[in-house]
Amino acid sequence: MSPLLEIKGLHKRFHGVEVLKGVDLSLNQREVVSIIGSSGSGKTTLLRCVNLLEEFEGGEIILDRESIGYRGTGSGRKRLPDRELSRQRAMTGMVFQGFHLFPHLTAAGNVMLGLRKVRRMERAEARALADTWLAKVGLGNRADHFPGQLSGGQQQRVAIARALAMNPKLVLLDEITSALDPELVQEVLQTVKALASEGATLLIVTHEMRFARDVSHRIVFMEQGRIAEEGPPAEIFGAPKNARLVEFLRSSRD
Amino acid sequence: MEPSSFLNELWMARSALGAGLICTIGVSAAAISGGTLLGLLLGVSLAEGPMPLRFVCRAYVDLLRGTPVLVLVLAAFYVPSTFGLNLDALSAGILALTLFCGAHVGEIVRGALQSIPPGQTEAGRSIGLTYPQILAYVLLPQAFRAILPTWINTGAELVKASSLLSIIGVGDVLLKVQEIIGRNFLSLDFYMLAGACYLAINFAIEQFGKAAERRLAPQ
Amino acid sequence: MGYTVNFTAVWGSFDKLMAGLALGLGLAIAAVLMGSVIGLAVGFASVSPIRWVRTTASLYVTVFRNLPILVIVLVAYFALPDLGISLDKYTSFILSLGIYAGAYLAEVFRAGLLSIPKGVVEAGRAIGLTRLQTNFYVIAPIMLRNALPALGSTMISLFKDTSIAAVIAIPELTFQARKINTETFRVVESWSVAAGLYVATCFLLAAGLRRLERQFPKF
Repeated sequence: MSPLLEIKGLHKRFHGVEVLKGVDLSLNQREVVSIIGSSGSGKTTLLRCVNLLEEFEGGEIILDRESIGYRGTGSGRKRLPDRELSRQRAMTGMVFQGFHLFPHLTAAGNVMLGLRKVRRMERAEARALADTWLAKVGLGNRADHFPGQLSGGQQQRVAIARALAMNPKLVLLDEITSALDPELVQEVLQTVKALASEGATLLIVTHEMRFARDVSHRIVFMEQGRIAEEGPPAEIFGAPKNARLVEFLRSSRD
Repeated sequence: MEPSSFLNELWMARSALGAGLICTIGVSAAAISGGTLLGLLLGVSLAEGPMPLRFVCRAYVDLLRGTPVLVLVLAAFYVPSTFGLNLDALSAGILALTLFCGAHVGEIVRGALQSIPPGQTEAGRSIGLTYPQILAYVLLPQAFRAILPTWINTGAELVKASSLLSIIGVGDVLLKVQEIIGRNFLSLDFYMLAGACYLAINFAIEQFGKAAERRLAPQ
Repeated sequence: MGYTVNFTAVWGSFDKLMAGLALGLGLAIAAVLMGSVIGLAVGFASVSPIRWVRTTASLYVTVFRNLPILVIVLVAYFALPDLGISLDKYTSFILSLGIYAGAYLAEVFRAGLLSIPKGVVEAGRAIGLTRLQTNFYVIAPIMLRNALPALGSTMISLFKDTSIAAVIAIPELTFQARKINTETFRVVESWSVAAGLYVATCFLLAAGLRRLERQFPKF
């Protein structure tokens, strides 16, 4: 069976600086992969390329056997029109470090917006689904609260529900606990663990090493725009080979 | 609407238009100067003065700001004569605009002064400065940077308001243009010319404001 | 002094003054509505990724913010007929004030658009909303909320500007006051009552606006 996500030779520049220098990564269905590495290694940029928030100059991203973002490959390729990009974006879900809930909508409203406007559900159906997902992340009784009335951890859980309710093929999690107060981090990590155990396909960028070790099938270590080492958690954390990875793990422990 | 007849008429009317421009610029300049002075006094009084003074100033500012400029102009034109004060249209117009400008500048100055942290006044006192000195050397200089952009804006508003003086017969650009149109019926051409004059004057004011802000920037 | 204040003439015509006030409010509301439509379009245009769209928007705003309303009103009523467009007084005034309001509101909406956190827009795109859907369901609601105070104060400003309708003989408040003035020579009374009505209305509008802002705080 072919992988759900295939990233081949991904190159990206920001204002002339090469941020991704040829990344190859594949992800199977129901697999959880965590990307670790120091700031500036390109982890977040990689995620943002997968959900087409960023353009990329070289390489290809194939999601469920469909090449996304561009028509054709190589130098003659063209960025797809907005409608196509939006359709492809709906196939992936993303949870941001800053949550970015829609402040003018309730928790239920946040989850429902995509269901109604992209999946074109009727209001009642969308509301029922939203309620289900909010209950799943432990916020069933907060459905009619506005983001301003929720704690950071609660907001992030709503963001997770919002991404998952769209039934995406793959969920991207971009340092989702980095902006939270320490005591709120666990509730979010628990939610993600529950999702992983139910068979979700997750690509996670995180600083939380213990969490990464517990939840992932595979760890990827990125350094300066490339994947430096990759393997199961036991290997990466127990017997790292790459020198930079060793250094990184040591400094993370401090 | 031949361009040649327009240019012809324009050339013939050049002295009238010139006089109108000078009038508009002169009236605006006079009102801005007087109004700024008045506004400074009002602003300081509102921010720092004793209660009765603040009350009077507040009433003045609120009354002036809540009244349309046209009403002020017309009132300034009709009212003084009943009190034996015979103002010609020009003086009445400048009076109205000055009072209007003063109220707006007063609010700007008040806001700017009140946004300065009280610590500044305390620091001034602690080195022995008297209140007027603190005002002059510590508070107003700091307030100035906050005041400048809005003050320039008020200046532009005043130039636009000066067009209302044509209604009471002051010979500004708009009145002259209307007189010219009365003779040659080239309404669109000459009204657009009037518009262009106002745009040019306000553009100059805006450029002046930008240059002034640049000079303050290094601080 | 030789002038005894006598309000009877004014109270007698008070109903006409109030009718004029109501007319002024109506004109202001119509202008705000028209201006909002224009302002939204121009506001969105001013942040468009396409260069000529941005430039056109910027040009529109610069021109109509720097033109005196009186000039716009006179052009719309007296000069447009030259081009074959003959409008009645009310339509031409609402058009004039609406275009003027559009320029101001465009700036208000533009500031509102620029103040929306980028992340929220990205979140909208991430769930698969198209650019248009994101504009409509995410950006616009947040922007309108943030723009509420400025929208309100523009409305109050426009209400005062409706006094200029008097120049083309629309029977709003200023026109009525001037009529009473010229008919009865009760200068002080007529103008003070007119000014008082304007001030009171602006005060009530501002109080209402504050109330509304408390209900819908900014994001």
